Amino acid sequence: MKDHHAHLYRPSTDYSHTDAIGRHVDYLCPGAYCAWRSGTDYLGDQASAAALDAMRERLGLNRPLLEQYFEFMGNALSGDWGESMVTGKSILGEVINVLPYTLELTFVSVIFGVVTGIPLGIWSALHRNQLIDYFVRLMTLIGLSFPAFVSAILLLIIFSINLGWLPVISSGGRDDFIGWFRDLALPALTLGTIMTAYIARVTRSSMLDVLSEDYIRTARAKGVPNKVIIWHHALRNALIPVVTMVGLFLGVLVGNSVLTEIVFNRPGLGKLIVGALGQRDYTMLQGLMVCYAFIIIFINILTDLTYGLIDPRVKYQ
Amino acid sequence: MHTMPNSIQSSESNPDIILDVRKLRTSFRIAGEWHAAVRDISFTLRRNETLALVGESGCGKSVTALSVLDLVPSQNGRIEAEQIQFNGRNLLGLSEDEMREIRGNRISMIFQEPMTALNPVLSVGHQVAEALLYHRDMNKEEANRAALELLDQVKIPSASSRFKEYPHQFSGGMRQRVMIAMALACRPDIILADEPTTALDVTIQSQILALLGELKRDTGMSLIFITHNLGVVASIADRVAVMYAGNIVEIADVDSLFAHPTHPYTEALMRSIPRSDRDTETLHSIPGQVPPISRMPDGCRFAARCDLARPICRKLDPALQQINAGSTHEVACWVRGDHDLTAIEDRANG
Repeated sequence: MKDHHAHLYRPSTDYSHTDAIGRHVDYLCPGAYCAWRSGTDYLGDQASAAALDAMRERLGLNRPLLEQYFEFMGNALSGDWGESMVTGKSILGEVINVLPYTLELTFVSVIFGVVTGIPLGIWSALHRNQLIDYFVRLMTLIGLSFPAFVSAILLLIIFSINLGWLPVISSGGRDDFIGWFRDLALPALTLGTIMTAYIARVTRSSMLDVLSEDYIRTARAKGVPNKVIIWHHALRNALIPVVTMVGLFLGVLVGNSVLTEIVFNRPGLGKLIVGALGQRDYTMLQGLMVCYAFIIIFINILTDLTYGLIDPRVKYQ
Repeated sequence: MHTMPNSIQSSESNPDIILDVRKLRTSFRIAGEWHAAVRDISFTLRRNETLALVGESGCGKSVTALSVLDLVPSQNGRIEAEQIQFNGRNLLGLSEDEMREIRGNRISMIFQEPMTALNPVLSVGHQVAEALLYHRDMNKEEANRAALELLDQVKIPSASSRFKEYPHQFSGGMRQRVMIAMALACRPDIILADEPTTALDVTIQSQILALLGELKRDTGMSLIFITHNLGVVASIADRVAVMYAGNIVEIADVDSLFAHPTHPYTEALMRSIPRSDRDTETLHSIPGQVPPISRMPDGCRFAARCDLARPICRKLDPALQQINAGSTHEVACWVRGDHDLTAIEDRANG
């Protein structure tokens, strides 16, 4: 991660400490020019060569890439993520400040998506090719075709401006439950409905697959009531692909939260990363990239563990 | 299910008959059109009797069994019959709840593929206990205890320690034993066994057959045994119905059938059995293939593959008839049946 970003703020004409790979990446990367500019932006247009050199020295840019990489990773693992180039504050501190906002938004959205999407998918599957099914399929298609920022703005217009029920700006208040809920409702609904659409569609098709399986016929031949067949025999099998999908889309959701946080002006990783981009705060960006990477890895582990809960054929030893 | 007028007298007169199927016709919708996979077949099953349904793939054996339990997919399948009389009660027109009371309780089914017929995410013990849970007034503990006894009864070694295991931890033969335990759970009057040994190797196959025979003797149940393996038929069946393209073409006691195979199709099937006691070089096969369900010919459906076929065979469909008066051996064949062929041909042409 470090090597990818380290060269961004290295003047592209300066090859004194690069290797062949670094040079190539430097050219390939569209940020190289900006990065060079940023080096001078940060120090001012009139920065002397000596000042630039001092800056490189401080950021360690004059050292080999591998050394930069291992030093950064070593520090990161021991809790030192460095300081923001702009504010000088500890990156880890900044991340820890806003991480709960992004996490609560993401997980409330996912829970909303699961709670609404799975029953919707089952309902649709059970009424296959009937009016209900077509309706659900159409609504979910619309739901997943809308970009998050469009639905966010539509929700704002309806619930905040026309109806006036919910605040326009979600400050992420957490003084009391009602305040917390009012601030979280619209952002979570924005992301949640996207999840609902995806989960409903995957649940529907996976449910239809499972309902035509031999073991469902076996259960019927045993005289098991229909409700038990659907909720006990079929659903557990149908959930396996749904878990895969939720795991994948949790990652997408963390990404989508960037836009949502901006539209609702809500604190979170998304706002932090956009702010860092605007200010060319490369050390902060680097820290945030590492943070996102950790989140994705964590989600994947969680997904794998969930398989074990649902499917007895998956065993971890 | 669609009920047709009940014109023939019911089987209540004969308490020995547990299942009396009359004119069962099961159709499937293929590309918008209905085609009959089973065509007006009638048969009876006596108490404690094993009736084998024999025929090649696609002849309607499995569909017949599924129709009895109303398990044909309802979106694209349709069951019609004059009656499906079980224990003096017509199953046609029963509500879904009433049918559910019978499934797995009075009539149960063993499926062909033990690999896919068990739910992969539920424990084997639970799947056996389930039938008891829904049909008997038992709580979970009692049902589990009874299920454990059943697993013992079908001779699953160390059943108590394997009770909580999942199907993927069982071998094919063991899974088929689990299926049998499931079917047996409520001591049904009839078990419909749909090729229960086809997916198994020969030694396991003979163990399963022995087990089924033993259970039938001990419990007094009746068995409809579906297979394409005539060797299996000889070892387990009391009576045999040979099916071809949705029709029963011959039905007889097992001894009579093997002694006097009458329908040309039955004869050809018998010739196709590989035998270790005779020194033959080639294995006989029946030329041609079963006509597709959407393009069934008029008349006898076997005519196109039959050496004995006469013009009448391609025009009129023969009905089952006793091979001679008073016999229980019936055959549906213009040539081999007890017909005055010249009179019939004259009538058909005139």
